[in-house]
Amino acid sequence: MKRDKNIPLTETVYYILLALLEPAHGYLILQKVEELSDGQVRMAAGTLYGAIDNLLKLKFIEPVPSEDSRRKVYVITETGKEMLQLDLERMKHMIRITEEAF
Amino acid sequence: MRKLKLFLNFEKEETWLSEMATKGYEFVGKSFTYQFRPTEPENVNIRIDYRKFKSKEDFIDYITLFEDCGWKHIAGTKSSGTQYFKKVSESADVDIFSDSDSRAFRYKRLSKMYLSLAICYLPILIALFNNDHQYASALLNPKELYYTPGLWEKTGMDFWGAFLFETPFALFRGIVVFCFPIMVMLYFIFSIKADQNYKNSLK
Repeated sequence: MKRDKNIPLTETVYYILLALLEPAHGYLILQKVEELSDGQVRMAAGTLYGAIDNLLKLKFIEPVPSEDSRRKVYVITETGKEMLQLDLERMKHMIRITEEAF
Repeated sequence: MRKLKLFLNFEKEETWLSEMATKGYEFVGKSFTYQFRPTEPENVNIRIDYRKFKSKEDFIDYITLFEDCGWKHIAGTKSSGTQYFKKVSESADVDIFSDSDSRAFRYKRLSKMYLSLAICYLPILIALFNNDHQYASALLNPKELYYTPGLWEKTGMDFWGAFLFETPFALFRGIVVFCFPIMVMLYFIFSIKADQNYKNSLK
């Protein structure tokens, strides 16, 4: 089977998608990503904005109505969930063969 | 105080604005020129992003994200492209980008903008060439910018007198004739320059 061209996801994209399993606005995404990665992944504002813009174009995430008029809120789409799943399988495979090798 | 300057390199522009602040000139806005206000010399961290927005909501969302992260938006409008930020919170990161790809990609957007400007004006330029023969021949032969009859057959003082007399008028006609192609060419050059900066910052 031919692999999807977006796989492997970058580390930041993976964490953003994971964070957006629940709706969140930009700054909340940053905080969630930092928390999920044990403080390993810290994204700056410009980088996150570009990543969100790109994920919207890919339709991996979508905007949802928000009560906050100044901050847009996003959530993962079905396509986005599929991508997470595909990348999870890829990493599981890598972990399995690596553990067997040692 | 106002200053007119053109940058195609965001890093150099950021450094210049920070240097102005250490000299006591606070950057307060940009329209056609950079506007500064005299103030106490200060060490500031100014960073530039390049982005245009389709809607006001998008623009506000963008600025709010930076504010949440400790960066104050000091200049730029919805469609100005260049957006200027100043670090205002101690806890903010030192840069508005955390990886070199996203830092480089602002040059890609700048390059695309200049390219689209050049492409917009190109058909008008071609139409001018095709339809206006006087325009095209003046461009290829600047002598035609001089209207004095028999000017180029004259010699000695006669020639220089008439030549120098008409030069200011010819220059003025020349500006009109040459400014358009020069503008289009500059846009192309800027686009290529910005693309080179993009490739350099990826390294």
